[in-house]
Amino acid sequence: MQLSLQDIHFAYAPDAVALRGITLRIAPGEQVAIIGANGAGKTTLIKQMNGLLKPQQGQVLVGDWDTRRYTVAQMARRVGLVFQNPDDQLFKQTVADEVAFGPRNLGFDAAHTARAVTAALEAVGLPDVANAHPYDLPSSQRKLVALATILAMETPVVIMDEPTIGQDGRGVQRLGEIVASLSENGRTVIAISHDIDFCADHFTRIVVMAQGKIIADGTAEIVFSQAEILAQASVTAPQIARLGAALGLPGVPLHVESFIAALRAKKGET
Amino acid sequence: MSSFTLYQPRDSGLHRLHPLTKLTLTLCGVATAVVLPGFWPNYLLFALFLLPLAAWGQIVCPLLRAVWPIWWPFVLSLFLVQGLFWPGGTPIVTLGPLSFKQEGVLFATAMAGRILVLIGSFLLLSLATRPDALMNALTARGLSHKLAYIILAAIQIVPRFQAKAETITAAQQSRGLETQGNLLRRARALLPLLGPLILSSLMDVEERAIALEARGFGRRTLRTSLILLSEQPWEKGVRALLLLATAVLILARTVLALR
Repeated sequence: MQLSLQDIHFAYAPDAVALRGITLRIAPGEQVAIIGANGAGKTTLIKQMNGLLKPQQGQVLVGDWDTRRYTVAQMARRVGLVFQNPDDQLFKQTVADEVAFGPRNLGFDAAHTARAVTAALEAVGLPDVANAHPYDLPSSQRKLVALATILAMETPVVIMDEPTIGQDGRGVQRLGEIVASLSENGRTVIAISHDIDFCADHFTRIVVMAQGKIIADGTAEIVFSQAEILAQASVTAPQIARLGAALGLPGVPLHVESFIAALRAKKGET
Repeated sequence: MSSFTLYQPRDSGLHRLHPLTKLTLTLCGVATAVVLPGFWPNYLLFALFLLPLAAWGQIVCPLLRAVWPIWWPFVLSLFLVQGLFWPGGTPIVTLGPLSFKQEGVLFATAMAGRILVLIGSFLLLSLATRPDALMNALTARGLSHKLAYIILAAIQIVPRFQAKAETITAAQQSRGLETQGNLLRRARALLPLLGPLILSSLMDVEERAIALEARGFGRRTLRTSLILLSEQPWEKGVRALLLLATAVLILARTVLALR
């Protein structure tokens, strides 16, 4: 489902302008990471995408739905937003019940809900804790439960707010697999994150924000090669890319494999 | 200043008053509201005492915005309960088996005025006084720092809960929970909103206790403060006068009641 933001302006107060003319189109199945310093407008932008905030100027379309004409609960059929803090939403007695909450709100029947819950818990690697109380799980797993609650809603667009916070290496890897799997199934994945390595590894498109504007938009290789833009957004390129640049390697290596290939290419030259 | 307080920074005479002077004003306002007889004096007290003070502090709008959402549920329930269930009394409006009694409505009017002054007094104090400055002033007068912290936490709990409730509402709406609409729908939305609010608040308590202890909260040593409080020479006199006037009012009211 296409997401289209056209010249979005938004201010919390006259002296607190958060978005200044954002125009962005995201195609179905894209993997988009939005990065930038704190206060750049990232959270405000994703809240525009599911209608939690309405544009004061401009238009946000999710498919053919204008967010101004739908409640957030209605928008939840198309856009699932995973909040940063799982404790802002968990309240059921079991993990399975918690994950079923969204599908039930959307009117899934019992069989559909059961299938969606099982699939979501398997996707986040927590099928064994379906009957546990959410608050008996460590916070990293509660965060995955919060993600499962959104995955079970089967929305065509999934947005994650800082998904890797509190996750260990295995958890981050699991999140990367989820991003890839959602995208393979044609679902759009958007994340805002300060975890630059996670963004570089798992997202095909990087959007850089600063002071309420988009200042760069492209593949990880293109975005992370623009040192001035990154400095403007107070973002540091992935360590491996910086090492590649320091060694004068061609291109912008973002993974160990591309780094080795670039190193070999450079050695071959010399 | 944290957004978890009601404090509105302004460069005003009210803000520059010593916190103890503002606390005295509040407590005297509360005591006066309780002892004032009749139906209308408390509304006059609000209009002629609290509002001018708020104007002096440049916080009339924030005060009215803060008072209204707390006051109106009290007013509504008072008028419904007292108006409909006043024993005996003179009916003024009859709707089928239910009738509003004149005496109940008058009592509700008086109580609503009293609550208006109570809420207004405390909110005026909260809007014009930094909570840490108030606690600093109280601990400097010998209040235990643990008790001071409890008072500070109580002052901050409303805005903290409001901010948390907004986030929880947004998170649950994003999971398809409809929180707007008819009464039944709103009632259904209560548990998904209250559940995380209570659970996460309990978890906050534990984390906060650990964080406080990690910063030496329990140590029994002399404490110093970065906040320097200034006091005008006449403020002690004003506090004494306020306390005296309130004491006289309470005494007069007691004597009148005993006659």
